[in-house]
Amino acid sequence: MDNLLSEGLNLMVFGMGFVFVFLTLLVISTAVMSKLATKYAPAPAVKPVKARPTAAAQSASAATKNDELIAVMTAAVHKYRS
Amino acid sequence: MDKLLELWLASGIYNISAGQALMMVIGLVLLYLAIRKNFEPLLLVPIGFGGILANIPEAGLAFSAVENAIHFAKPEVLSALAGVLGVDSADPYTVLHAYKEASHSVHTAATDIALDAGYSNGMLYNFYLVAIASGAAPLVIFMGVGAMTDFGPLLANPKTLFLGAAAQFGIFATVLGAVGLSVLGIMDFSIQDAAAIGIIGGADGPTAIYVASLLAPQLLGAIAVAAYSYMALVPLIQPPIMRALTTVEERKIKMHQLRHVSKLEKIAFPVLLLILVALLLPDAAPLLGMFCFGNLMRECGVVDRLSDTAQNALINIVTIFLGLSVGSKLSADKFLDVQTLGILMLGIVAFGIGTASGVLMAKLMNKLEGGNAINPLIGSAGVSAVPMAARVSNKLGLEANPQNFLLMHAMGPNVAGVIGSAVAAGVMIKFVG
Repeated sequence: MDNLLSEGLNLMVFGMGFVFVFLTLLVISTAVMSKLATKYAPAPAVKPVKARPTAAAQSASAATKNDELIAVMTAAVHKYRS
Repeated sequence: MDKLLELWLASGIYNISAGQALMMVIGLVLLYLAIRKNFEPLLLVPIGFGGILANIPEAGLAFSAVENAIHFAKPEVLSALAGVLGVDSADPYTVLHAYKEASHSVHTAATDIALDAGYSNGMLYNFYLVAIASGAAPLVIFMGVGAMTDFGPLLANPKTLFLGAAAQFGIFATVLGAVGLSVLGIMDFSIQDAAAIGIIGGADGPTAIYVASLLAPQLLGAIAVAAYSYMALVPLIQPPIMRALTTVEERKIKMHQLRHVSKLEKIAFPVLLLILVALLLPDAAPLLGMFCFGNLMRECGVVDRLSDTAQNALINIVTIFLGLSVGSKLSADKFLDVQTLGILMLGIVAFGIGTASGVLMAKLMNKLEGGNAINPLIGSAGVSAVPMAARVSNKLGLEANPQNFLLMHAMGPNVAGVIGSAVAAGVMIKFVG
């Protein structure tokens, strides 16, 4: 019976220890990986270039949609009034 | 008149045992909790319904061919089974006991005899064999969870991984508790049983089922029911512990906005985690391997169809069969036991200790960083139970300070908890499996 208890204690000490060691290593390697990633692949620099044309396209399409909408609405108003 | 008598003798009312009736009531209670109270309905509806199916008298849905053969107890079949199993008497109880202790090859031989005699596996038993005994369903679900997980908050603040580690203390403390109960002679748990019970504290359904199916299949029903019901009770169990361990000032701490995480980092992380698992803990490879695979599918951006299937259609299909299979373990002879009470009790202790150690770890980290950087409330999210635990942290933060949104900060420890409990599961399987 004491054997069982010591087995449980062992499991707790080693298990908890291992979880911490593993996650510590994960923290370190993740931090290193993030540094490398931001150093060699500076993503934010690319973004604004891409963002502009899409934004322009969007506003353009929005503008045409607006025109259409206005046309439809005037037609509807005319019909209703006449 | 004979026919009428035969019909009566085959009816459920004539055959039902008190245990089966009680288990059906328990199944109905689970359905009530799921439907009316919204307790993890995606799992408790199939589990509760499976539990009712498993206890229908004479149908034997949750039993193997051999168990069905023993139940119907035709003398010639029983004696043939007794011969294969190497017991002298053809008494059904002795034969059943020998069948449960038998080695795999003897098992197969006994199954062949039962199949020849025209008995077959119950439907739920077949689901159990395919979904859980093979280990497939929990792992496929873990892949889906990986595909649903966004590691962004964790990558923005990797230190929160420590909170996910600290909260696993609940698992190991409970193992010690279960072993202690056995030593005191109150319960009778082996070290494998204790390990499987402790994993409830990981607050992670698929992990708990996977570990239980490997270490203590006879306790699987109780462990799964405990794990999922306590996960549903997270908003009730955690807040009192969190309030007791933190001061109002600590709860008011506002955390810095998280930095932007690039796509490359998100793609690299699952690969990095997989390499670490491969190097350090191959026993956690099934769980974390599938998890990383699912996450890589999500983040790499070129297999959106696969990622979509993994996190929607596939996980739903597998959840149905997993729930029904767990329900099959709710048959009266397997569930109605003092051990089940012990498991339910130890499970809630595991949750409580996990929450407390997560919060305490967050307090410690906050002290080390000058006392105004980390809100200790996010520590409790380290028990996993994604995303419920993170929402609880957020809610308590808002209570202390209506402008304090902790949700994204708590998601870091929350997903770290998933990794932490999978690692703890790997350690358990390695040491006692």
